[in-house]
This record gives sequence, structure tokens and C-alpha cells, in this order.
Amino acid sequence: MPEPTNRLDDNAPADPATMLAILTEQQRRVDRALLAPVPWLYFIWGVSWLIGYFLLWSTWDGGNPWFRVPVALAATTFAVLMIGSIVSSAVIGARINRGVRGISDFAGRVYGLSWSVCGFAFFALGAGLDFNGASSEILSVYFPSAFGLMCGTTYLGGAALWRNKGQLVVGVALLVVSSLAPFAGQPTNILVMSLAGGAVFGAGAVASAIGLARPARD
Amino acid sequence: MIHVAARLRITASLSAIPAGDRISFPRLQELLDMTAGNLSTHLRKLEDVSYVTVTKTHHGRTPATYLELSKTGRRAFEDYRDALRSVLGENR
Repeated sequence: MPEPTNRLDDNAPADPATMLAILTEQQRRVDRALLAPVPWLYFIWGVSWLIGYFLLWSTWDGGNPWFRVPVALAATTFAVLMIGSIVSSAVIGARINRGVRGISDFAGRVYGLSWSVCGFAFFALGAGLDFNGASSEILSVYFPSAFGLMCGTTYLGGAALWRNKGQLVVGVALLVVSSLAPFAGQPTNILVMSLAGGAVFGAGAVASAIGLARPARD
Repeated sequence: MIHVAARLRITASLSAIPAGDRISFPRLQELLDMTAGNLSTHLRKLEDVSYVTVTKTHHGRTPATYLELSKTGRRAFEDYRDALRSVLGENR
């Protein structure tokens, strides 16, 4: 990390081109500092979806043709991956907003809370389906897609709050994947969630990393 | 006022924080890589002309200082940026 500066030339006016370059570079630097963790967020979620759903798919007859995974192991690993991703998101989100207070506090808190509230609501609906006699096959169609729809919808909320096109694209893509996955048939729907969902997050990670490397805001 | 490079960097950083939000002194210092003394000196000048609003508060028993661009400061920064672009023949 460079040493803090106390340069004399900081106090001297420069020509317009230099001043505009200083302005642009500083804004780019702030953007990078604030948004640098975003590709990691997408990457963490992408890996969790890829591995988590792949293991769940591998528990079913007609699923993974190469090896089977015990249900308890797959479900536990999936839960650990998702909880780990949520905790990572919370920690990284807090780090992005470190030292910033004010009008966006409320929006940030509601957005953060919406993940757990919506997650519980979708889970409760699934539990209600189970309570009313839905088969394990039907529930294995419901739960992956419901979780994906929740993520997609919440990303759309984030896109609206922070006017972020990347979140908008990821949100829409997750809605498409999650709503179409059931048509692949059970248990292939879970493999679709693994591969396509993981790919959506992976693309989000790559696109946001490229965006950070690109110069200049308006 | 903001034609000095150090103060331009400060206002450019503060302009990147959404209006209505404020940033802590240490975080701003980190984004600027400036010494605390240098940053304080320039912030005082910006505060004197009402470009920057300083809020002093406490986190528990620890004093904390938060900074934000005032409406006047944000407008001055945007006008200055537009003037630079205009001089250089840029559309935006």
C-alpha cells in the first residue's frame, strides 16, 4: 500500500487536462475501493450453487450416472454452502459500506433483511406443500426453483436500490433459470440449477471484474 | 476553491458517495492516501466555504467525524467538472 501523500504539488493548480485526469482517476479509485469485493460475492455464490446443487442431484435415482451421494451428506453440505455464502455476503457487504452512514442505511438494512425474510417465507411454503402431502419429487422441484426465484427477485430489488445493471442482469437470468428448470424434469432440474445457476453467478463475477478494470464513471 | 488538486480529489471522492450519505474521516483518508493533517487542512478550507458538512459524533466513547458534500459543494464540483470537459471539448 502506498504511503499517504503530503505532496506540495497537491496544493498547486494544474492545467485542465491534468485536473480532469485527477478527478477521473480519483473517482475510479473510489469505485474500485467500494466495489472491489463484488466479483468475489458472485464467485462465492456461483461455487456454492455449482457444488451444492450438483451434490443434491447426485442423491437421486436417474441423477448423477457416475456416483451417488448420501442424502444426509448432500443436504448438510448444501446447507453449509448456502449459510456460508449468506454469512460471506453479510461480511463483504458490511465491508463495502465500511465508514459510510446516512440515508442509505435504511435501504441497506431492509435489503439485507429481505434475504432472510424471503428465504423463510419460501421455505415455509415448501414446508406447507410437504404438510399437504407433496411427494419428495415435487418438493425437489419446488425448493431449488423457489430458492432461485427468491435470489433473482432480491437481486432485482438490489438493482433498483443501487441502480446496478449487473445485479439486474443476474436477477433476470436467475428468474429465467429457476422458472424453466422444472421443465427439464426431475431430477435434471437440480442439475440445471447447478450448471446454469453457477454459470449466471460466474458470468456476474467476470462481468463485474471487467467493469472494475474499465476506466471512468460519467 | 476546488481547482487545487488535493481539494479536487477530496470533492471527487465525496461526490462518489450518494447524496444524503456521509463518510468517516479514516475511510476518506484511506481512499485518498493523504496524511490526516493534510486532509484536515483541506477539509477545513472546504468547510469554510460550505462545500463540505462535518458531523462530529461518538461511537461509544470514541469520537468520530463524518463528512459529506453539501448541496453547494456538490453543485460546485459538478460545475467545475463540466467546465473542465467544456474547455477540453468533451461533450459530457
